[in-house]
Amino acid sequence: MSGTKDEERKGSSSEWRDAFWNPRTHELLGRTASSWGLILLFYLVFYLFLAGMFVLTMYIMLLTLDDYKPTWQDRLSTPGMMIRPKGDQLEIAFSVSETESWDGFIQNLNTFLSPYNDSYQVQMNDNCAPDQFFIQEDSGEVRNNPKRSCQFNRTMLEECSGISDRFYGYSRGQPCVLIKLNRVIGMLPGKDGQSPYVTCGAKRYRVEKEKDEWVNYTQPLVAVKFLNASVNTDISVECKINSNSLEAGSERDKFAGRVSFKLRINTK
Amino acid sequence: MGDKADRSPKKKKGGTKDMDDLKKEVPITEHKMSIEEVCRKFNTDIVQGLTNAKAAEYLIRDGPNALTPPPTTPEWVKFCRQLFGGFSILLWTGAILCFLAYAIQAATEDEPAGDNLYLGIVLTAVVVITGCFSYFQEAKSSKIMESFKNMVPQQALVIREGEKVTINAEEVVGGDLIEVKGGDRIPADIRVVSAHGCKVDNSSLTGESEPQSRSPDCTHDNPLETRNVAFFSTNCVEGTARGIVICTGDRTVMGRIATLTSGLETGKTPIAKEIEHFIHIITGVAVFLGVTFFILAIILGYSWLEAVIFLIGIIVANVPEGLLATVTVCLTLTAKRMAKKNCLVKNLEAVETLGSTSTICSDKTGTLTQNRMTVAHMWFDNQIHEADTTEDQSGASFDKSSVTWLSLARVAGLCNRAQFKAGQDSLPILKRDVAGDASESALLKCIELSCGSVRAMRDRNKKVAEIPFNSTNKYQLSVHETEDPNDNRYLLVMKGAPERILDRCTTILVQGKEQPMDEELKEAFQNAYMELGGLGERVLGFCHVLLPEDQYPKGFAFDTEDVNFQTDNLCFVGLMSMIDPPRAAVPDAVGKCRSAGIKVIMVTGDHPITAKAIAKGVGIISEGNETVEDIAARLNIPVSQVNPRDAKACVVHGTDLKDLSQDQMDDILRNHTEIVFARTSPQQKLIIVEGCQRLGAIVAVTGDGVNDSPALKKADIGVAMGISGSDVSKQAADMILLDDNFASIVTGVEEGRLIFDNLKKSIAYTLTSNIPEITPFLFFIIVNIPLPLGTITILCIDLGTDMVPAISLAYETAESDIMKRQPRNPARDKLVNERLISIAYGQIGMIQALGGFFAYFVILAENGFLPSQLVGIRLNWDDRSNNDLEDSYGQQWTYEQRKIVEFTCHTAFFVSIVVVQWADVIICKTRRNSVFQQGMRNKILIFGLFEETALAAFLSYCPGMDVALRMYPLKPSWWFCAFPYSFLIFVYDEIRKLLLRRNPGGWVERETYY
Repeated sequence: MSGTKDEERKGSSSEWRDAFWNPRTHELLGRTASSWGLILLFYLVFYLFLAGMFVLTMYIMLLTLDDYKPTWQDRLSTPGMMIRPKGDQLEIAFSVSETESWDGFIQNLNTFLSPYNDSYQVQMNDNCAPDQFFIQEDSGEVRNNPKRSCQFNRTMLEECSGISDRFYGYSRGQPCVLIKLNRVIGMLPGKDGQSPYVTCGAKRYRVEKEKDEWVNYTQPLVAVKFLNASVNTDISVECKINSNSLEAGSERDKFAGRVSFKLRINTK
Repeated sequence: MGDKADRSPKKKKGGTKDMDDLKKEVPITEHKMSIEEVCRKFNTDIVQGLTNAKAAEYLIRDGPNALTPPPTTPEWVKFCRQLFGGFSILLWTGAILCFLAYAIQAATEDEPAGDNLYLGIVLTAVVVITGCFSYFQEAKSSKIMESFKNMVPQQALVIREGEKVTINAEEVVGGDLIEVKGGDRIPADIRVVSAHGCKVDNSSLTGESEPQSRSPDCTHDNPLETRNVAFFSTNCVEGTARGIVICTGDRTVMGRIATLTSGLETGKTPIAKEIEHFIHIITGVAVFLGVTFFILAIILGYSWLEAVIFLIGIIVANVPEGLLATVTVCLTLTAKRMAKKNCLVKNLEAVETLGSTSTICSDKTGTLTQNRMTVAHMWFDNQIHEADTTEDQSGASFDKSSVTWLSLARVAGLCNRAQFKAGQDSLPILKRDVAGDASESALLKCIELSCGSVRAMRDRNKKVAEIPFNSTNKYQLSVHETEDPNDNRYLLVMKGAPERILDRCTTILVQGKEQPMDEELKEAFQNAYMELGGLGERVLGFCHVLLPEDQYPKGFAFDTEDVNFQTDNLCFVGLMSMIDPPRAAVPDAVGKCRSAGIKVIMVTGDHPITAKAIAKGVGIISEGNETVEDIAARLNIPVSQVNPRDAKACVVHGTDLKDLSQDQMDDILRNHTEIVFARTSPQQKLIIVEGCQRLGAIVAVTGDGVNDSPALKKADIGVAMGISGSDVSKQAADMILLDDNFASIVTGVEEGRLIFDNLKKSIAYTLTSNIPEITPFLFFIIVNIPLPLGTITILCIDLGTDMVPAISLAYETAESDIMKRQPRNPARDKLVNERLISIAYGQIGMIQALGGFFAYFVILAENGFLPSQLVGIRLNWDDRSNNDLEDSYGQQWTYEQRKIVEFTCHTAFFVSIVVVQWADVIICKTRRNSVFQQGMRNKILIFGLFEETALAAFLSYCPGMDVALRMYPLKPSWWFCAFPYSFLIFVYDEIRKLLLRRNPGGWVERETYY
């Protein structure tokens, strides 16, 4: 109480200085070195302990996980769909005459399709019977891993394979767009022997069968080639997967079981 | 919650000079003038009064004779004060920052996230709703205040142009000739020109409990002491008087005090200071975190704008949105609880102030005492007998069989002009109203209580003659017929100043027998008189004589003007002494304050002897403690030779106080534990309060009179009396004791201390969840993981699940006897200190955050995103056009699909925080004791636990929540993710508190006891 007066007399600046470093008591921010040491040591030990506990619980959690199949897949009941080539926006706009306007798409498709080369597929994957699921069951306790998947050869895409036409029809104003279904482990996209197929917004389409998918898996694709799309106009295309076993996607998700994109072919 | 000083712009301008002027003593000089001079000054006539024209002219010049009501704050200002005061500022700042962040986002991004906008709106809504709540809460209290106001207009009898007219008291002007009689309220300050047995009760102005007689003569230089001035709004108890009005309205003594009071500015309440300190800490932490991560964000390569948004986001995340509401509700609950115990709190923040109080300056009259003269002692048969002075007649009784007592009772009953007012037969005797002066009333009640109806006694002994008391005789006598119809003698009874009565006596009644008054008996009388006088009591002597029938036969014409009968050679019967006794509960309450470390100082306008006696009676001066004067008397040495340091107690006279310098004053306040200030003026009371505050004390002032109101206003908390208190004092006070019981103050202290402790607990609980709310955002920025906890879920915690448990901590019972510890030191014991922050943020909060993150990682891993893949995924994760993002299993996710998982994570994080907050609320129940010692008897808290869990489940599982709040149903197993962490919190804190109790003052206590 008697100190209040003395403190008042002191300038507020020296008070602040003292609060930071008090030379009389050797206090930095109100604590002596040993006080700082103790509290920092405490927090170090405390946080090390917490980190240990966290690592332990995480380790236990990871032990409960399956290596090949996630615990829950209910959020993936309707697989998403995507197109290739893919820019920032889902928009394929180019001029036939300007090579550089579609050069990017070609590059994109080339990279994307390289794992589909026939040589690679034969080496890695099995040749499965068409229209049948390729299911590799575990036999009791013995897990059948890694699993093999079916071949999907690049040649199956014919004109859109980039083999016969290395510009995927872009140079002629008949662009190919590849449509793929997102991979979901253990998904059986059709039942009763009916294959799912893709329908696109009233344009020309091709249907390819979806296959079951495993390691070294290359996704089955559907190629859409626009043979005589009207030029110089925006064409909105929506492609949809039609399957008797997949739920229709929710309203909110624009990419679950369907995909929309814009196409514009300029002649100049 | 604003400050309580009502300031008008007008006051501010010429303020300082006015205030200094008001603090000086009263400048009235008319009491020293002759009546003619006064008449000349006001152009009035001593017989005719003012002319109507003059009166009208003066009325226009001086304005009506009424006190200007204290400038009332307009309702909208009060409302704004609630809206922008204290804690609200923090939330407002947060809201503005949110809007700013949203504006930046809206300007720079195509599709800005609405989070900041919503957060800003919610923050605004919280402040506005809480502001309205506390505004209405206080409006309710002030409604009760309104009801105190006496709406009956006062009337005054004035003489104008020679005619007596009754006019409204407001129309009285200076110079008016006024007549007052017993029972009237004096309408203005008047200079008495003639009086007949006039007595006024100045207790509301000076605190003197005894009525003062008024006469035309100037008896003292001090206008407050002189007998020829009667003051505005005091009461005329008996007699009649005529006087000239010298001051009206605000210029009266009463008006000056009222103006002084309303002009005083008071500081912030202790809790407001604590909240300010808390805001400093929180802001400090927020800015530190914000700037640190701003710099980090820049280093990590974020753009300036992004970094600014992060900065704002982090600062706002530190704002405890729910705390304002929690604190307000906690204070309101306590205010309600106190109102139930008869403490009405006018200002919500004042709820806590009594708890911090370290000094109570109490007025005596009406606060510590009953404000009712009561017979306390009697001396007869050469022995002092104690009378029962308690309110409920539970005290000691005395032997009533003595013949001397019967004689004494007869004298006291007959020689007494007081009588009960009609129509009160059903009331207990002590509660009945009496017409007559205070000491006669006291005698009347005493006799009525012990001997039955005084009226019947008076009927049996018809009064034949009477000489009323006057200051020259100093006695009162009456002559009565005897009870025995066959006895034709007359009985003369007399009472008065004991020494005068003794002079007239030659014999004395002992054990019912008349004995000659010898030296031995005279000495016994002197001793008794001294002793009773030393108790601060007013002593009256009683004597009687049966007049010899031969000299005064039946029908003798007693002439009271020219006394034609014997008034000496009487028989002394006894002494009776009266005091305004302390209230029954006061000594106990003072004792409790003492043990709670609170210094109780008596500040009274009454005389030192009476004040000291009452102080001793109620324990303000405790047994065995002596004043300097006592020591001097004991050692038989002059006062000047006594070392003042030896005396713990002291009694300071108001006239001495005037001459004291500030240092001397501080010295007295510092070095004496038991202080009584007597004969103090209202201004001096104010100075005493300021002195205590200068020494760092938090001062409570209790009082009921107008003279107390400046001190009440200046005090950190003014406590007025609800029944006996004057309107002015109630206006100035922050708290009102509805039952006038000083003991309620103890309740106030207890509740105040409890709410301070419990607010700490509430804040500790609420702040803890800040860490699990901020860390997700920090990790989102630093390691680029999908956001673990969103704004909506944070709001659900702060304004939803955390609310009831935080409030329920206000119902927590005290851990130890809070009335046994010292008052908190406002410089050291803060509401929120770095230790609380260390525990809440550094320790418990961190465990909580880990619990939340664990749930987050479990959900993502079980859905396919293993922790190793999450780091750095943020840009792809939040890219709307990326609809085939691969998880650790190679599955591909559309934007919406992974967002649903993300929001499920938010929900799980939220639920995890609820789970760890279970443990938090249980550990926050106590600060030192184990929960096993404290028990789980707080039903509200148990309800809170269930409520928050039910709310969390509802938010997660109610259909439609996915659209409304983007919260998704959780798999049952996800509820248990945080359980180990919840358990860890409980165990960790129990161990901490065990160490705390084992090693008092040890490292654990120094670093973690908040």
